[in-house]
Amino acid sequence: MYTNDKKSPGTPILAVNTQATSPAAAREVRDRRRAFLLLTPGVLWMLLFMLLPLGMVIYVSFWTQTTFAVKPDLTTASWEQFLSSATYLSAIGTTLRVWVIVLLATLIVGYPVALFIGLFVKNRTLQTALLVACVIPFWTSFLIRVIAWRPMLGTEGAINIILMKLGIISDPLSFLLFSEFSVIVGMTQIYCVFMVGPITFMIARIDESVIEAARDLGASFGTIFRRIVLPLSLPGVIVGTIFVSVMVLGEFATAASLSGRKVNLLGNIIVSQVGSLKWAFAAVAGVVLTVIITVVIALALRVVDLRKEM
Amino acid sequence: MEVRLLRPVLMLYTALFLLFLYGPIIILAILSFQSQSGGPQFPIQEWSVYWYRHLLGLAETSRVSQLPVGESLVRSLVLAFMTTVVSVTLGTMSAEAFRTRFKGAGPIFYLIILGMMVPGVLVGLGVALLANFLDIGRAWWSTSFVLHVVYTFPFAFLVMLAIFNRFDRSVEEASLSLGVSPAKTFRRVTFPLIFPGVLSAMLFSFTLSYDEFSRTLFTAGADLTLPLSIYGTFSVEIYPNVFAFGVLTTLFSFTLLAIYGLLMKRFTARSKSRFAGQEET
Amino acid sequence: MLELKGVTRLYGDVVALDGLDLSVPDDTYLSLLGASGSGKTTLLRLIAGFEEPDRGEVLLNGERLDGKPTHLRDIGFVFQNFALFSHLSVAENVAFGLRYREVGRLENEAAIRERTQHALQLVGLEDFGHRGVGEISGGQRQRVALARTLVTEPRIVLLDEPLGALDANLRARMCDELKSIRERLKVSFLHVTGSETEALTMGDTVAVLAEGKIAQVDDSRSLFTQPKNPASARHLNAWNLLPGVVKGGVLHASVGKLPIGEQVADNTSVQLAVRFDDIGVCAPSDVPAGHDYFEATYVTGEFNGPTALSFFRTPDGELIQVVDHLSDPRLPHLEEGKSYALFFSPDAAVLFKGAA
Repeated sequence: MYTNDKKSPGTPILAVNTQATSPAAAREVRDRRRAFLLLTPGVLWMLLFMLLPLGMVIYVSFWTQTTFAVKPDLTTASWEQFLSSATYLSAIGTTLRVWVIVLLATLIVGYPVALFIGLFVKNRTLQTALLVACVIPFWTSFLIRVIAWRPMLGTEGAINIILMKLGIISDPLSFLLFSEFSVIVGMTQIYCVFMVGPITFMIARIDESVIEAARDLGASFGTIFRRIVLPLSLPGVIVGTIFVSVMVLGEFATAASLSGRKVNLLGNIIVSQVGSLKWAFAAVAGVVLTVIITVVIALALRVVDLRKEM
Repeated sequence: MEVRLLRPVLMLYTALFLLFLYGPIIILAILSFQSQSGGPQFPIQEWSVYWYRHLLGLAETSRVSQLPVGESLVRSLVLAFMTTVVSVTLGTMSAEAFRTRFKGAGPIFYLIILGMMVPGVLVGLGVALLANFLDIGRAWWSTSFVLHVVYTFPFAFLVMLAIFNRFDRSVEEASLSLGVSPAKTFRRVTFPLIFPGVLSAMLFSFTLSYDEFSRTLFTAGADLTLPLSIYGTFSVEIYPNVFAFGVLTTLFSFTLLAIYGLLMKRFTARSKSRFAGQEET
Repeated sequence: MLELKGVTRLYGDVVALDGLDLSVPDDTYLSLLGASGSGKTTLLRLIAGFEEPDRGEVLLNGERLDGKPTHLRDIGFVFQNFALFSHLSVAENVAFGLRYREVGRLENEAAIRERTQHALQLVGLEDFGHRGVGEISGGQRQRVALARTLVTEPRIVLLDEPLGALDANLRARMCDELKSIRERLKVSFLHVTGSETEALTMGDTVAVLAEGKIAQVDDSRSLFTQPKNPASARHLNAWNLLPGVVKGGVLHASVGKLPIGEQVADNTSVQLAVRFDDIGVCAPSDVPAGHDYFEATYVTGEFNGPTALSFFRTPDGELIQVVDHLSDPRLPHLEEGKSYALFFSPDAAVLFKGAA
């Protein structure tokens, strides 16, 4: 019945179906064409303004870099220079290190909170209120939230003042700001909500009666957590991991404003190279970043099907 | 672990978490009332609104230059508005298409979602390179705009997808069976019913675009948007005028949120069932 | 007249409708009885144009409907969940079709108001026009759905389990109302239901849908008393079916040998059907003369108000049901686990040829 649609690939679908096909097949073709037309603008937009530019990044990474310009003469010079430079290679290392630490930090900070909101708060309104409380900071500009850590962590900042008032320290801690520490704290605060949200969602979805039943059978909380809550919350952890990973890996603003230029992520390399018109180097860094992110997302997607979780 | 102990422990943990989330902003808000002579840290020399006046250009000239917020604010608002209209339209169209089963739905879904995943600095670089290659000038209303849509369209799409998932198709069929054409059915039945979702998608798109920075950095050209203006002040020393700015933009965002809430409430009050019983009168 | 000829609908490998033929005459209340999953909703959706058949034709007064867009078919549809427009008031719901339809749209507000009010009167909701559809009860919503459909004067009205979402009391009342409204408008109703009592009460004619085909079309009484095939009998939920094989003019059924009235060739598989209320119960030694009988063990009883159901199990596990009427009890006192003779008059039994 439906094989009519598939044969003769050269002929337009409509022409094949105008004669001798069932109304059902015709309707199906019409519905599919409508879906196709509705999707075309969005898909075109993504192809032209996302995939094409990404392709451009790869292309330009093989261009010839002169002092102030790039020329479309293909060469691997930029790649060779990038991969033999200690600065750039260490940027890859820093990026990966900061990513892993921030990912773990958001998980450690976020999971117990998600557990509390999703499992221990029974009241729906309170649950929603707590989640809203997590989201509200997003209505403050991202850059402002980053900069807000400066008066917190500085040598004359709130934390040092409090610690000195309490007599815990006598001299201000200088490692708090303009260090990798401040970058990690800032990123953790900004991105942990992306961990809390999906995990809470998955935990709140667990059928109460399953847990009740387990409890009735004498399971301890530890067992219930290990056997029921943890496995069912894992898709949330993965989704959260994807969110946090792509955002942290592409980061540069937090490092730029909280590290005092001491932490150079791949994002920062791209920004500084563009600033000095070294487009080809920026493109190389961009491709490296793309590869890293692709690997991370691909690994995560092997574990969970994003489309089903949405 | 003792379960009875777990609950208060987690509660305390959550409270600390909220303190962690809000602490810096609260400190920042307090410091925005620093006096002219005070720096961007404690102690507060004297409570004043000097830095707010400074921000709005009402203060007498000082050694600190005024934040360039005026024109860039207008640009950011216009850009966010353009982005909202386009991405919500695209999002609604695509989500509507996804109500039909078709081959290739999976790859297309991921293609759209990729827009919110791919780092801003990366696509920003790509669009800048492409613009250079094609010899097109970069500007906030062209190259930045298309990227903002790339970013917000997936969010709008996901919101609308969720709305359509819960949408009862039979009301559309009812309309068709009454002799109303598909186009008019969309206009008179589908759209009014999904409007709360459209509103949410608009809110999402607007705030994301308004605050978007990494996608704008390489693509905006000479005229800066608001986040770019703020970013420009980072490299030099910061003053409490940035804090005052942070407080004001947050208040502005809450105003937006309140408008959204009001619209939503007005809308749902009209359509939600207050009485769903089966008793006869 | 609505006609379906050889209509087939497939969902992948699943055959929902299998070359179905059916005609609905003008000015008729036809109820279509089918089990859940029998494709009865699919049938309505094909007629309305929400879906299209894979094979076959749908004709209304001789004109092909299949392939035509829904909004040009001029066919009313009442949904089980009513599918009211929640963003509009009751009156706006009813006026919707008049105001926005493609063909025969009314532009004159006064005329729209008049027709709307008239339709609301028809269903007894003349004072509810200004209400929101969330502010009325289930039965009222049902009537709004009906008024909304009827006001556009469709050529035929399809009702998809329209009483399914109502409670029992209301269902009985709506039954009468649906019938009287239809009789006033002289338009055909095709009412789909999974309830045999509803189908028998509502329909001037009842069609039974089984395995993607129409098993039987008849008036309620004929269908109930003389089902033409096992599928019809099974759907009426009032017949016991005893499968077996004929040998030497005698039915060798699972319950033992039973005589049969007609000539059937040897080794033919048949099913003997006896209605629940045509079976008597007594001790095996007391079977009245002129009756056939078989033995079964009493399992349990179920009291339904005016009637009582008794369940028996035959030696090889077949479940047999017997109905007793409270006002005219026929059954003796029954003890669980005890064996009884279930007897019936040979005239009451119906023989179907073909295996179960």
